[in-house]
Amino acid sequence: MSERRLSGVDVTPLAGVGTVVWYRPDADLPDPPAPSEVDADAEREAFEAAVAEAKSELQAERERTAERVGEDEAAVFDAHVQFLEDPQIADGVEERIADGSPAPHAVSATFDEFVEQFAAMEGRMAERADDLRDVRDRLLRVLTDGERVDLSALPEGSVVFAERLTPSDTAQLDPERVAGFATVTGGRTSHAAIFARSLAIPAVVGVGDDLESIADGQTVVVDGDAGEVVVDPSEETVAAARERADAEIREERVSTRDGRDVEVAANVGTPAELAPAAERGADGVGLFRTEFLFLDRDSAPDEDEQYEAYREALETFPDGRVIVRTLDVGGDKPVPYLDLPDEENPFLGARGIRRSLGPDSDLFETQLRALVRADADTDVGSLAVMLPLVTTVEEVAAAEAVLDDVVADLESEGVDAERPEFGVMIETPAAAFMADALVEHVEFFSIGTNDLAQYVMAAERGNDAVADLGDFRQPAVLRAIDATTRAAEGTDVWVGMCGEMAGDPALTELLLGLGLTELSMSAVTVPAVKERVRETDATAARSLAESALEATSKDEVIELL
Amino acid sequence: MPERTVEVVPEEGLHARPASLFVEMVNDHDATVMIGPEGAADDDLVNASSMLAVTGLGVAGGEKLRIVADGADAEDVLDALEELLSTPEDEL
Repeated sequence: MSERRLSGVDVTPLAGVGTVVWYRPDADLPDPPAPSEVDADAEREAFEAAVAEAKSELQAERERTAERVGEDEAAVFDAHVQFLEDPQIADGVEERIADGSPAPHAVSATFDEFVEQFAAMEGRMAERADDLRDVRDRLLRVLTDGERVDLSALPEGSVVFAERLTPSDTAQLDPERVAGFATVTGGRTSHAAIFARSLAIPAVVGVGDDLESIADGQTVVVDGDAGEVVVDPSEETVAAARERADAEIREERVSTRDGRDVEVAANVGTPAELAPAAERGADGVGLFRTEFLFLDRDSAPDEDEQYEAYREALETFPDGRVIVRTLDVGGDKPVPYLDLPDEENPFLGARGIRRSLGPDSDLFETQLRALVRADADTDVGSLAVMLPLVTTVEEVAAAEAVLDDVVADLESEGVDAERPEFGVMIETPAAAFMADALVEHVEFFSIGTNDLAQYVMAAERGNDAVADLGDFRQPAVLRAIDATTRAAEGTDVWVGMCGEMAGDPALTELLLGLGLTELSMSAVTVPAVKERVRETDATAARSLAESALEATSKDEVIELL
Repeated sequence: MPERTVEVVPEEGLHARPASLFVEMVNDHDATVMIGPEGAADDDLVNASSMLAVTGLGVAGGEKLRIVADGADAEDVLDALEELLSTPEDEL
């Protein structure tokens, strides 16, 4: 049989080979019994019990998603609870049950009425239809004891095919068992796509109705690089996909053609991302966000709990380095046990290091104690501490003093302690301007380009109206990077970068030319950047950087690349 | 019954986060609140305590909303809703 290729939207630059498992949560209900045979009271009770169970499932999945993927993706489950408890849904279901409909049929018909109404609307309204379908399917599964595919217990090597994958669905997928997935609908920014990227699952979305022509049990290649699903792939295609999957990943460290070593690391926001990062060949973690330890709970994690979490990261990279960013919260995220102020603009308010040296100083000290203890363990990788949102030399000197005190305290208590490598994020114009003074206090800088670009250009990346200004290829952003690397020149301070800019292979040569020696990014782009590092010649990179620094517009910069 | 007509400032309209906060605010007050597009007849108003009804109106940013309240907290809830609708989304 000859192979057939279906194209869709590429989501992750990964390929996977496996067996198709169709996931159809919205399979038809059996025909309802005659109204006279339905016990309305029993159906009402069943509905109420299902709502309660669905609500507790949603709350559990909210927590799970916050931990595995992030707060933004988790927030959708709050909306689901609102729909679940909506009085119009309750009224519609009650009315249909009173008319003799069994609970599952009443739920299905009630939701479908609203799904239709929302699906007919445009833009963001239509997205609510997906949320409603998701809530409907959850309720139906609870009501009918769910005779559908269990996404959390798929055989290894499964390729999941679905019309769409909802946040509830993707939260159940186990990256160890799933070789990839493909969906009929969806785009690059769909929930499923974001999930696939953060857990490094090969995926193609938006394939269209042709996907339905592929049956359960068929062998397919999901090529997230080309955006293709290959049905009945030839032996050569399978071998090529497998080989490419192997060849893409370089576990060894890389250097430029002329022998300059470059550390290529991963950004990690939750413990679930550690193993995928190592599997993608990351040398270490260049940005370990610690907010997951602090959010969605009623009290702060104690020193031992934090120590265990940091140790787990170090165990994943026994020969590497894990750069831990100290707690970076402000008024934009609710943390019940912290007295976070209600601010007009939390991104320019009391957050990051400002709180750590102020109202959250106890929390900061506890975090540093856990970090110093973790670094003292010699059987695992080495740890570095990094401060967020630094703007002044005094902040860094004050934090340095706290760190020294913590090390001294632990030593006097007879606890194994080692002063970790100490550095700051350069994510404000102030820090870039003051870099030549900051070098006296630190061992490294890590340029956080997402925030640096926003603060340098006074333009929010998420705002389409000013997206062009907030681009990190703006010459002003390049000059801020250059100010940082030049300040470190001739000192022992090394300069790295964490942020989306570091993960764009098209910019690798420019960044190396600007003097960066460490790049940290989403795990998924590590192999591509490692490849680019090996192709780069440091001298040519330097002259590219010099030309880019002379550019007076973003377009000129892009032309040079 | 006290009522007001208020412009919806959040760019996205009465949708997503603004809608969610709107419904929450209605449910936090002792009043029955009915809403509709500017000039809607009484019979066409929908119950503002339902997220489905509120988002289902499809009110866009810059459009005006008719709000009718009844009950002990009627004036208070109108004040609170007016303030909410007058706040740009990024300040919510």
